[in-house]
Amino acid sequence: MSIPTTAAAPLQRLALLLFIAWRNLWRNPARSALTISALVGGLIVVILYASLLEGMMRQMVRYATEVTTGHLQIHRQAYIDDRDLYATLPSDYLAHIEHDLPTLHVAPRLYAAALASSATTSVGALIEAVDPVREPAVTTMLSHLRRGEASLGLSASTSSAASRYNVIVGAQLAKNMGVAPGDELVLVTQAADGSIGNDLYRVAAVLKPLEPNFDRMGVLMSIEAYRQLMSLESGFHELAIKLDDIGTLATDQQQLVDELAALQRQQPLDTLGGEAVVRNWQQLTPAVADMLQLSRSMLIILGFIVVGLASLGMLNTMLMAVHERSHEFGILLAIGMKRRWLLLMVMWESLLLALVAALLGSLLGLPLAHYLATHGIDFSASMPDGYDWGGIVFEPVMRGYLEPSQVVQACVLTLLVSLLASLLPAWHTARLKPAEVLR
Amino acid sequence: MALLTLEGISKRYRQGEVEVQALHAIDLTVAEGEFAALVGPSGSGKTTLLNIIGGLDAPSSGQVRLDATELTALSEAALSDFRLFQLGFVFQAYNLVPVLSALENVELVMVLQGRSDHERRARAEHYLELVGLKALMHRRPAALSGGQQQRVAVARALAAGPRLVLADEPTANLDSENAEALLDSMYHLAREERITFLFSTHDPRVMARAERIITLRDGQIVSDQRPHAAATA
Ligand SMILES: Nc1ncnc2c1ncn2[C@@H]1O[C@H](COP(=O)(O)OP(=O)(O)O)[C@@H](O)[C@H]1O
Ligand SMILES: [Mg+2]
Repeated sequence: MSIPTTAAAPLQRLALLLFIAWRNLWRNPARSALTISALVGGLIVVILYASLLEGMMRQMVRYATEVTTGHLQIHRQAYIDDRDLYATLPSDYLAHIEHDLPTLHVAPRLYAAALASSATTSVGALIEAVDPVREPAVTTMLSHLRRGEASLGLSASTSSAASRYNVIVGAQLAKNMGVAPGDELVLVTQAADGSIGNDLYRVAAVLKPLEPNFDRMGVLMSIEAYRQLMSLESGFHELAIKLDDIGTLATDQQQLVDELAALQRQQPLDTLGGEAVVRNWQQLTPAVADMLQLSRSMLIILGFIVVGLASLGMLNTMLMAVHERSHEFGILLAIGMKRRWLLLMVMWESLLLALVAALLGSLLGLPLAHYLATHGIDFSASMPDGYDWGGIVFEPVMRGYLEPSQVVQACVLTLLVSLLASLLPAWHTARLKPAEVLR
Repeated sequence: MALLTLEGISKRYRQGEVEVQALHAIDLTVAEGEFAALVGPSGSGKTTLLNIIGGLDAPSSGQVRLDATELTALSEAALSDFRLFQLGFVFQAYNLVPVLSALENVELVMVLQGRSDHERRARAEHYLELVGLKALMHRRPAALSGGQQQRVAVARALAAGPRLVLADEPTANLDSENAEALLDSMYHLAREERITFLFSTHDPRVMARAERIITLRDGQIVSDQRPHAAATA
């Protein structure tokens, strides 16, 4: 006796099992709905958490790069090691780099330590000299003002008649010194030639908190003012570089390294200051890079925990379902259903539950995540300046960032964990003894 | 020539300390085309015997052969295939998959067998018509009476094209009218399709329809009679 078997038979069998599984899903709609809700809830939590975390991470990267650091920086090795005042990059380098690599935005900087005095008090200060024209093309530092205006030029009118250079000071420094825009302060420092450099400056503006150190000690001035104060005629301590697209970071970094090598052949550097070194933002702010890595790991762990907990509900549902159906499964085994097909049917059912949950979870989670991305959660009433976490200053409005691939990953995670949870009921099913359950 | 041969079938169940001997060295042959009843009081071993014949349970000793196939020598997977292609089963109740219609239930086995769409549909409708349920074939089991559900189960068993149909008290949950209607269906199908039926019962009216009555008591065959054919003709 031979029964014709069509080529499509295995597929039809699979489709049949899927069909029965789908029907079984709606056999106890309340229970399925409850199970699906738990998974949907878990998925939404993961999606929103991922969105907020991604938003925070992007803000961290933005802060790490846009506000002060840039994507890449060049220093002399001795400046990196000892903040050596004399370890400068030749001024020509700036012009050469700008000429040879026109897609890069470059801002030169100089630094010095000083003592800042107001009428009432003196505090330690950190002078950062920037190029008022180039700096805005690289960072947003000059626009993060709490009060005053972003002017680093000469101010015409001060109380003491003579014209003074403008400076912009950190928020905490302004508070500690009791100065406000329009007030004067004196900076005293040791100049490059060994003399005492000191001068009177006018506070043009107070910065918003950017970075705790700078917040407490920072004084921004123009490179022109710096050269006068410090008697340092040329060179820069730092070249900060911004890329149009952070995606090309690695290649741009390599190009810069090659460019510097070429420049050093044409115009050798003094040996004391050491090599010119290019570092990217991750190297410059390793705390941020580490925190990003940590956050991603935490997200994965949290995802597993939340989805795992939610899928416990599914495990329970499926165990109940296969228990209730043991007679039915006994009949199916008796009439010639293979154990592995039964197993597949149970797994199909779990997978369908998870699929429906993934669909609903994304459908509900996406608009919520979108809301978080566009409106964010506003903490500005309680924290107008944002908050400082591990040296990184966050904006007072916590905004999510919707990364579609994370939603897909969360769905895949839900499906995988659900499939894992279906193994136990499937295994129970496959071990049924028809002679026993049919009695 | 015998279709089914049992030789020295014994079955012992162990229940904790106690051992129950459900079957004692049963010898039995069933010829092709027979319509035979297995009767006896509750606990006499009918279900145990049918389960062993169907390969759902293994005997403690003895052999079961269908034609030349030695069942006790088959692997689990081979037994499953054997049931799929050679045997039909009808149990006491709840034979059907609740989430499938009558038609889908009948087609189910044939999908597992790998028959084509077209053949499946034609055979399913044919057998549902023979048991008088073609008009209700799109209903799910919950919308059918107990007797109708049992007839669907018979149609399902036959549509698979088995050599032997085993039915364990198929009428136990039915009133006498439905029980007789089911037996009528089974008998006509047996005659028309030349299918061998072995069913258990302890209902005297059902017994009366059988061509052969095998009586079990305490796990042993105590009588094997063939009432004259005129009674069912
Ligand atoms: N799984 C089992 N474990 C122990 N004893 C069993 C088991 N199945 C059946 N029996 C015993 O075997 C005997 C025959 O049972 P069964 O075949 O169900 O009889 P029938 O179907 O004629 O009522 C009974 O004494 C029953 O108690
Ligand atoms: Mg019984």
